[in-house]
Amino acid sequence: MLDNAGPDPAGLLAQPAKTTRRGYLTQKFARVMMAMNEFVLAGILAVLVTAVSFLIEPFAGYLPIALLYLLLVVAAGLKLRRGPVLALAATSALLWNFLFIPPHFTFYIDKLEDAMMFAMFFVVAMAMGHLTSRLRLSEMAERRRERRTAALYELTHQAAFATDLHTGLRAAVSLIESISGAQVALLLRQKDHTLSEAVHPASSFSLSENEKSGAAEVFAHKTAAGRLTNPLADSEALHLPLQARTAVMGVLSVRPRFDKAFGPSERELLEAFAVLIGLILEKDHVVEALKRAEILEASERLRRALLDSVSHELKTPLSAVRVGVDALSKQTVNGREKEATLREVQSAVRRLHRVIDNLLDMTRIEAGVIEPKLDWCDVGELVCAAIELAGEVLHKHRIVIEADEALPMVKLDQPLLEQCLRNLLINAAAWSKAGTKITVCGDVDGDKLVLSVLDEGKGLSESDLAHIFEKFYRASDAQPGGTGLGLSIVEGLVRAHGGTVRAANRETGGAEFRLTIPVETMREGVMGELA
Amino acid sequence: MSDKSTALIIDDEVQIRRLLSIVLEAEGYRVLEAESGRQGLSDVALRRPDVVLLDLGLPDIDGMDLLKRLREWSRVPVLILSVRGGPEDKVAAMDSGADDYVTKPFDSGELLARLRAVQRRAPLGSEDPYFQAGHLAIDFNARTVTVKSHEVKLTSTEYALLKVLAQHAGKVVTHKQLLREVWGPNAEEQSQYLRVYMNHLRKKIELPRAPNKLLKTEAGIGYRFVLPAGG
Repeated sequence: MLDNAGPDPAGLLAQPAKTTRRGYLTQKFARVMMAMNEFVLAGILAVLVTAVSFLIEPFAGYLPIALLYLLLVVAAGLKLRRGPVLALAATSALLWNFLFIPPHFTFYIDKLEDAMMFAMFFVVAMAMGHLTSRLRLSEMAERRRERRTAALYELTHQAAFATDLHTGLRAAVSLIESISGAQVALLLRQKDHTLSEAVHPASSFSLSENEKSGAAEVFAHKTAAGRLTNPLADSEALHLPLQARTAVMGVLSVRPRFDKAFGPSERELLEAFAVLIGLILEKDHVVEALKRAEILEASERLRRALLDSVSHELKTPLSAVRVGVDALSKQTVNGREKEATLREVQSAVRRLHRVIDNLLDMTRIEAGVIEPKLDWCDVGELVCAAIELAGEVLHKHRIVIEADEALPMVKLDQPLLEQCLRNLLINAAAWSKAGTKITVCGDVDGDKLVLSVLDEGKGLSESDLAHIFEKFYRASDAQPGGTGLGLSIVEGLVRAHGGTVRAANRETGGAEFRLTIPVETMREGVMGELA
Repeated sequence: MSDKSTALIIDDEVQIRRLLSIVLEAEGYRVLEAESGRQGLSDVALRRPDVVLLDLGLPDIDGMDLLKRLREWSRVPVLILSVRGGPEDKVAAMDSGADDYVTKPFDSGELLARLRAVQRRAPLGSEDPYFQAGHLAIDFNARTVTVKSHEVKLTSTEYALLKVLAQHAGKVVTHKQLLREVWGPNAEEQSQYLRVYMNHLRKKIELPRAPNKLLKTEAGIGYRFVLPAGG
């Protein structure tokens, strides 16, 4: 029957609720059995007290026996349900009348005061039984409420304050499991506002097809369904909507173990859990949305910065080229002027080239398409190549290389690191005066390659240190020209290579940029083997 | 170059073709232009240029395919012009039979130097036993190498490496090609050999503190023996 059930809710409704009726009968039977047990217990107690009464009657007379029976009723009222207690009260009155009030072994009462006594006993016993059992009931209800409050508090505490949503949900699921003794599954709402097909990983069982369609129904109609609830009585689990303030955030499915049914108070507690989980999910959803909005705003800011910076950086050299070429096309320009103009045009073209390269590199980094291609490389060669790449920008500085000749070969993406080092060198040259020294250090420390570029400029401000690797960040006292991309490209490339770049001020003045790259180094013996 | 060499430019950008024509004609080339891959192929077949400048981004045939087709029947030197500047693109082009690679935007001086290098046919080894570049001289017959007239001792592997680079002087030689020619076809992936020996070789033949090195690393691609300007 379960296998035939399609996702069509009407089909589900039309099917006879066999499982449910069986479950209901079982439950009823269990309840009757329990009540029967209590009646039997009450009977045994009555017999015991009667036996004791027979023992003390010769000494004390029949009146204190009434008190003994009353004591029994009160005691029973504290432990048993109302039915057995009231039955016990009535039985006690009749037993007392029949066995102890003279004449013995008849219900007939001689004396008026005995008759009054019996009547009063009957009323008092019934009232006591009723009152004590009510006391017990309200105490039980109180205890239930307390347990429920504690559980809800626990859930709030564990789930709502968890570091991330998934550990929170996991805690909530295990809490519900331990309290209800049932298996718990969560189906969450997806980004497109439909119910997820797969259960959340924290769940302790996976739903059958039938249960899934039941859960989908619950999600659509926002009312609980499943076991013992209409209209989806057929499915094995109880499905509760995770109702939050604005929407249903998913479905909580609870499947009892051992075919035990949920009582109304358990249902109520589970519903409270469902609401709480719904609220937690909603909170998380809102936080996510807020974060997305912030990212969107940041990217919008970035887009503006890009447009400003790029349009400036592209248009400036372009105008230089245009003006230069116009000047060259005039016949009146003499030899010296012509040469100077040509130099300007060439430098503008180089600048344009650099800006475009930077933008393309940044785009590649942003697109996440950079995959380092590792190959063996000599550190000294890498440093020299980077210096060569930086070209004439460095011609006004003294470049000093500090690297041990005997450094082992390292495995890395050489072009990528050459470019990082080149950008750092260009940066160092831009920030230190002509004629000062720029030092490039290379060292291999265990499985790390450390490359640093040190300049003798005026160093970095606090704000520089915090933002220097951000896209389009330019120090307040930066020279005109430059996109503010060079160092963020370094950071992006180094990150793609699994390494880090740090900026710091040197004690002796000037800035230091340090690249740390995880590398494989060539074993000592390889050189010998090759020779 | 006693006769005028003929250069064929295959590029769909008319502006690049025009400017290259000006530069090449000024240098004494006769220039042919083709604006599509198909036309370029037939021009190579019919007009037999001495050198081809090929743009990879053609509208009708992918430049790389064109190169492969061309190499089925022609050994004309091909210099690739492309905006794709990644090492893997360059290596792919070299593997498909290109002789060298220039990334757009390029420097016209560099372009002309590369053109001269790819045109230098018939490696020097067979005909000319002597090779001279700057401070370095190689005698292929005697297998001796001198730096500033002092003989330096090279191991046989170092010598073989230097010989391959010198025979392709001015052109880039890929890692694969070097490994194959020096260590044999099975060593193509053993790039660490190459790094170690290049390192040794450089220490022996480069002048310390010289700004212009003879052996230039083309990162991710290979090495180039740079002919000193005017040398």
